[in-house]
Amino acid sequence: MKLLIHDLSKEEFNDLVWTIKGDVKVIDDNNTIHNCLGCFGCWIKKPGECVIADDYDNMGEYLSKCNELIIVSKCFYGGYSPFVKNIMDRSIPYIHPYFEVRNNELHHRRRYENHFETSVYFYGENITENEKATAEKLVKANALNLISNIKNLIFVKDISSIKELEGVTI
Amino acid sequence: MKIALVNGSPKFKDSASGNILNALKPKLQDKNIIEKYSFRTTEISNDVLEQISKCNVIVFAFPLYVDGIPSHLLRCLYQMEKYLRSNINNEIYVYTIVNIGFYEGKQAAIAIEMMKNWAEKANVKWEQGIGIGGGGMMSMLDKSTDRQGLMKNVHNTLTDAANNILSCKSSDEIYISPSIPRIAYKIGGEMGWRQAAKKNGLETKDLFIKK
Repeated sequence: MKLLIHDLSKEEFNDLVWTIKGDVKVIDDNNTIHNCLGCFGCWIKKPGECVIADDYDNMGEYLSKCNELIIVSKCFYGGYSPFVKNIMDRSIPYIHPYFEVRNNELHHRRRYENHFETSVYFYGENITENEKATAEKLVKANALNLISNIKNLIFVKDISSIKELEGVTI
Repeated sequence: MKIALVNGSPKFKDSASGNILNALKPKLQDKNIIEKYSFRTTEISNDVLEQISKCNVIVFAFPLYVDGIPSHLLRCLYQMEKYLRSNINNEIYVYTIVNIGFYEGKQAAIAIEMMKNWAEKANVKWEQGIGIGGGGMMSMLDKSTDRQGLMKNVHNTLTDAANNILSCKSSDEIYISPSIPRIAYKIGGEMGWRQAAKKNGLETKDLFIKK
């Protein structure tokens, strides 16, 4: 399964130049998402599942079943948009509370054995060079924490003109 | 001078960010007006925006979430950016303290860069970022003194930060890790997870549940 997380409106999403076929789970903003409360209930109350009951409590399970993660996000200060970041924050049930050392730093152990590649498409009219540099570090750090490989990392001004996605079927 | 201490943790109580700001506050001189704010939710009221825009210094303290800024705080920061970038009344100096559940304070570096990028867009003056590893130990800050104990390095760092804040001085980023060995932090942390799970009626093996 491919997992596509985006912050676009329905119209913007439908206007994209790519084609979506096959087994793709799309996570989009229906304006009901709650923010992570830092309660760690997803590790110590209902391991593997967010305890906030809304449409976004199964991100850990979705990540465990995907072989490719695709993120389309407006760039905010060198990171994801609030909605996409909200999804990332609610995704920690994917990993295990225990620590292990990777790259000579503490990181969380994996809960699942699957492996996925990550593609991130940042868009925005005024992404600065500093923000791009920060975003590159962020995507690398996320890949290290989620034990993923980076497939694509692309910045565009206008989301409807992601040429890299022309003819791409996901 | 008017200083805003902004707690960016979503927790109602016992947050590491709150512990850090509580330890920082007495290090700032009495003659300053210090206002504490808690950004627990996704929106800031216009009153609070106006109050903060009149401060000389803003000190943010928040936990690192997935290598970055917690999403609710990001929404608040965007609201602040829109409000502050047209604020021509006074120069605002910004300091940021990020606490991290991991051992290494330097894992806050990306979130601190984001705050720098935010400061540029919000038209406020970036002064210093601090990353504090071992967030799970910050509850000890309330009980420890400045000169001894496991929180000594945190207190020393906050004292240095306070001196910078009081003179609105810019300084290099500082990243600190706990004063216990990494293996001890790892073992202690994992023991804590098992105890917390047990309190919820779970067994150790339940921590490994797959959905």
